[in-house]
Amino acid sequence: MADAEMEASLKPIIDQKSLKWIFVGGKGGVGKTTTSCSLAVQMAKARKSVLLISTDPAHNLSDAFGMKFGKDARPVTGVEGLAAMEIDPNGSINDLISAGGDDAQEAMQGLGGVGSMFQDMAFSIPGVDEAMSFAEVLKQVKGMEYEVVIFDTAPTGHTLRFLQFPTVLEKALDKLSQLSKQFGGMINNLVSARGGLPNGQSFDDVLKRMEELQSTIGDVNKQFKNADLTTFIPVMIPEFLSLYETERMIQELGNYEIDTHAIVVNQLLFPKKDNPCEQCNARRKMQKKYLEQIDDLYGEDFNVVKMPLLVNEVRGVESITKFSEMLIKPYEAPQ
Amino acid sequence: MVSVLLLVFLLQLAIHLVNTFGAKAVNELVFTITISPEKEVTANSSKDADESATLRREVVRLNREMKAVSAQDDFAKWARIRREHDKAKDKYDKQSASLTSFRTTFDRLITAARWLGTQGLQFFCNAYFSKEAMFWLPQGWVPSHVEWVLGFPRAPQGAVSINIWSMACASVIAMVSEGARAGLTLREGRVREGANKGEKLKMEGGGVGGKKEL
Repeated sequence: MADAEMEASLKPIIDQKSLKWIFVGGKGGVGKTTTSCSLAVQMAKARKSVLLISTDPAHNLSDAFGMKFGKDARPVTGVEGLAAMEIDPNGSINDLISAGGDDAQEAMQGLGGVGSMFQDMAFSIPGVDEAMSFAEVLKQVKGMEYEVVIFDTAPTGHTLRFLQFPTVLEKALDKLSQLSKQFGGMINNLVSARGGLPNGQSFDDVLKRMEELQSTIGDVNKQFKNADLTTFIPVMIPEFLSLYETERMIQELGNYEIDTHAIVVNQLLFPKKDNPCEQCNARRKMQKKYLEQIDDLYGEDFNVVKMPLLVNEVRGVESITKFSEMLIKPYEAPQ
Repeated sequence: MVSVLLLVFLLQLAIHLVNTFGAKAVNELVFTITISPEKEVTANSSKDADESATLRREVVRLNREMKAVSAQDDFAKWARIRREHDKAKDKYDKQSASLTSFRTTFDRLITAARWLGTQGLQFFCNAYFSKEAMFWLPQGWVPSHVEWVLGFPRAPQGAVSINIWSMACASVIAMVSEGARAGLTLREGRVREGANKGEKLKMEGGGVGGKKEL
């Protein structure tokens, strides 16, 4: 079934003009950041504006490009039409609270035990902190109107939870708003007896904001499940654990109805035939074994892109640009 | 019309029986009596059960097959079996959940109905007949303050109220059943319940007719 095999490059993804969200994920250390940066560079050539977001708390974008990025999108020097930003999924919820300033803290204290109880309750929903920051970022990104947004995600487990959030949070918010509809009057009385919320906010305002957040999330959820708008690119190395995780991830993505049709196999060794290095040859043999399995399992439905392990580190714009070309044109091994 | 006296007695008997045999046993009994004869439901549920068993066998088979294949040497094959296995397991879980949920709903319904038929009915009767005399005591049999207690809470003086009558019925039923159980135990000569179930009773004197020396 040679004609059923898919093209061994990411060109179809770059040519898929409808794409708006691209996720890049995999186990730690397989080259997610390098791949996502390379993809972003190639994307920037084909589109007007591309945003690269790192949600990995380790933040490697700054290192990869050799320049400092922060919470706001900043253009990458040397690559036209590409901007990058780094967000910390765990940190930003605390930012959100402290952004409310003393008023928010006071309001919580004003409610006494009830306030802190609500806070605890809200945070005990699994993944709610990350989801909130995620929603916040998405809201920002929506306003900025980039043609494509590429996410460099944290290692596997995190990623899957991240993508699950819209569903989880939608459910949680649904419950909360239902609750507040039933007990809204009571809470309102409680609050006004305490002298009202700070800044003259009413409880209804808070509710309205919550509903807004919910509709944003619902919208995002719909977009993520649309194969025309969103795709997920797993990155792996030809070793058992990576392969295993990737298989698991692809299955789970299927459960969440998130499209994935391209895989990047990274760090392949291509030693020369008359190479005396025993270690290299042994590793090549092992990699070959797994590559055969990968082709067998995914060859028909996925673009399997094979990337070589270079002799130098891929750092800096130039180096990344050079590396990124191999995403489009399959690498030819030297004989 | 059934006499209220008899009705209360039967009610207490029913409550006692439910308490002795256990609510679960009653539910089980009702389940087998009502659900089994209805052919359609039986056919349906037994089909479900069959399907569930088939699915379970399938899951076990796939699991065994998966273990037989080395994931490291033959990942593609292993992954394919695993996908199938996961799918089958998912289906099986859903199926068994639906079976259990049907049973749970049924149990809840029966429990509610049973409660209404026993305790609920008792409360209702106690309220409805509270001012009526179950029967009258001959005048002067008991002093007037005892008469007041027997008529508690609302029956006229000199009569026995429904509450007192149902309490009396319950006590008698409890005593008779205790007696019957004790009789059975004695007859068998073995402990019938508790931690030392099945042990021989420790009875002095040995045989029934044996005379005890004092």
